[in-house]
Amino acid sequence: MIEINNLVKHYGTKKAVNDISFTVNDGEVLGFLGPNGAGKTTTMNIMTGYLSSTSGTVIVNGHDILEEPELAKKDIGYLPEQPPLYNDMTVIEYLNFMCDLKKVRKNDRKSMLSEIMDMVKINNVSDRLIGNLSKGYKQRVGIAQALVGDPKILILDEPTVGLDPGQVIEIRKLVKSLSSSHSIVISSHILSEIQAVCDRVVILNRGKVAAIDSIDGLSRRLSGTSKFLLTFRGSDSDALAKIKMLSGIQDATVRRSEGEYHEFEILVSNSTKTDPREDIFFVMAKAGYPILEFRSLDPTLEEIFLSITG
Amino acid sequence: MFAIFKRELLSYFRNPTGYIAIALFSFISGVYFINLLTRGAINISSEITQMRSFFIIIVPIVTMGLFSEDRRRGTEVLYYTNPITLFDVVMGKFLAAMSLFFIMFINVFIHMIMTKILGGVVVTGDWGTVIVFFFLAALFVALGCFASALTDSQLISAIVCFVFILVIQLVSTFASFLETGVVTLLETFNIVNSETANAIGSTISDAINWLDPFTKTNNFRYGVFSVIPLFFCISIAVFFLYLTFRILEKKRWSQK
Repeated sequence: MIEINNLVKHYGTKKAVNDISFTVNDGEVLGFLGPNGAGKTTTMNIMTGYLSSTSGTVIVNGHDILEEPELAKKDIGYLPEQPPLYNDMTVIEYLNFMCDLKKVRKNDRKSMLSEIMDMVKINNVSDRLIGNLSKGYKQRVGIAQALVGDPKILILDEPTVGLDPGQVIEIRKLVKSLSSSHSIVISSHILSEIQAVCDRVVILNRGKVAAIDSIDGLSRRLSGTSKFLLTFRGSDSDALAKIKMLSGIQDATVRRSEGEYHEFEILVSNSTKTDPREDIFFVMAKAGYPILEFRSLDPTLEEIFLSITG
Repeated sequence: MFAIFKRELLSYFRNPTGYIAIALFSFISGVYFINLLTRGAINISSEITQMRSFFIIIVPIVTMGLFSEDRRRGTEVLYYTNPITLFDVVMGKFLAAMSLFFIMFINVFIHMIMTKILGGVVVTGDWGTVIVFFFLAALFVALGCFASALTDSQLISAIVCFVFILVIQLVSTFASFLETGVVTLLETFNIVNSETANAIGSTISDAINWLDPFTKTNNFRYGVFSVIPLFFCISIAVFFLYLTFRILEKKRWSQK
C-alpha cells in the first residue's frame, strides 16, 4: 500500500505537482491518466524516491520513502519512461546486476530470474546484448528489471509507449497477469489502455488531482449524453430542423459542409427509452437524404477533462 | 557497494575504455623501461615518476564515463530507486576506477621482477614511489569522478578533468613564475631590499607549492616516508568524492 499525502513539487517557480493526495491499495491496479505535463512522471518519480518532494509524504507499506528509503524501496519495482538499461550488458548479466542492487539472496537468484524471464518472455534473448534488442524486448527487459526482488508494488511509467499494437496487447496481458499478486500503478495518456487494465483511475491535470474514481464511476459521470457524427447528402437546414424535432435530441450542429455534403454533430440524451438513432435514420430516409456515415463519437480524454474539471 | 563496483569494473572491459587505458599505460611504461634498460640504468622509481605525468591522459579516459554515462543513458534512476545509498554508488565507482589503475600497474610490477632477474635492485625508495603513485591516482580519480558527475557528456567531463589535472601539474611552474615576478617587481621599484624581496618571493612560492601534491610526495622516492603527504592526498580525494556525492544528491531536488 502506498499513501501519498499532500505532495508538492516545485521546479523553480513552476509547480509541477500541486498538493496531490491518494492511496494505492493492496492488490489494485491504479491508472494514472493525464495529458503530457500533467505531473504523472514527476509524481511517479517522487513515489519511487528518484526525486524529492518539495513537501508532502510518500509512505510505502508503513515506511516513509525519505526517512527509511532502503525499506521502502525494497517493496517497489519501477519502470521509468526510458527503461534504465545498460546496452553493453547481456540480459542475464543485467538481471543479475539488478539482483545485486536489490540484495536478492544468491540461492534464490536462479529460480527467481528464470521465473521472471518466463513471465515476460525474454528467455530466448537472455544471452544477447541489450543494445541489440528491439524496442519491444527492451521494454520487457525493463519490466523484468522491475520484477527482480519480488516487490509488492510495481510502478510503470507509460509502459507501452512506442510499441507496436501486438506488443501493446502483450504488455497489457502481462500487467493483467501481474495484477493478481501485485499492486500496480500504471501511467498513460491513452484512455483505452487505462480502461483495459485498471480498477481505479487518478486523473491528473496541471499538477492537481482532477478525479479519483473507478472506471465505471468515470463513465457514469460522463453518461447523460452521447455524441454522434452524421454525414449525409442533402439540404442542411431542412435536415437540421427535422433532426432537432425528434425526441431525445439535445442538440445538433453543423460541423462541416461541402456543397451538398454535410457533417452533423448530434448530442443525444441517454435518458430516452427509444434509440434516437433509428428515428434519425428513418427521418433522413423519408427526406431522401442518403446517410454516408453514422457513428458514435467516443469521448476523448479532453472531454473527460472538461466534464470533470469544468 | 560491491554490486556497483563489480558492474563498473567489468564495464571497462565491455567496451574499449579499459583496454585503451591499459594498452596506453603498458606502452608508455614499456618505452621508459626499455629506455632505462638500454642505458643500463634501471631505476623503477624514475619510471613510475615519469608515468605520473600521464595521469593527465589516462585519468580522464578512465573516469569520464563513470557518472556522465549513467545520466545520458537514464540508468541513474537505478541508484535512486533501489535499496542502495548514493555513498555506495560513489565509492563503488571510485574503487572500480582505482582497481583499473591497479591492473594497469601490474606492468610496473613485471618490470620490477625483470629488474631483479637482470641483476638490478629494487630499493625502498621504489616502493615509496609505488605508494605515492596510488595515493596520487586516488586524488586524480576522485577529481575525475567529480568532473564526470558535473555533466552528462563524456567529452565535457574529460576536458574538465584534463584541465583540473593540468592546473595541478602546473602548480610548481606557476609558483616559480610568480616568485620571479614578485621578486623582480619588488626590486625594480626598490620597495624593499633584494634580500627581503627574495624572502617574500620564496614564501609565496612555498605557499603555492604547498598545494602541489607532486612536490609534497617527492621525498618518498628517496626512501623518506611521511604520513602528511599521504594524508594530504586522501583529504583532497575525500573532498572531491564528497562533492560528487553532493552533486548526485542535489539532482534529486532540482531535476529538469
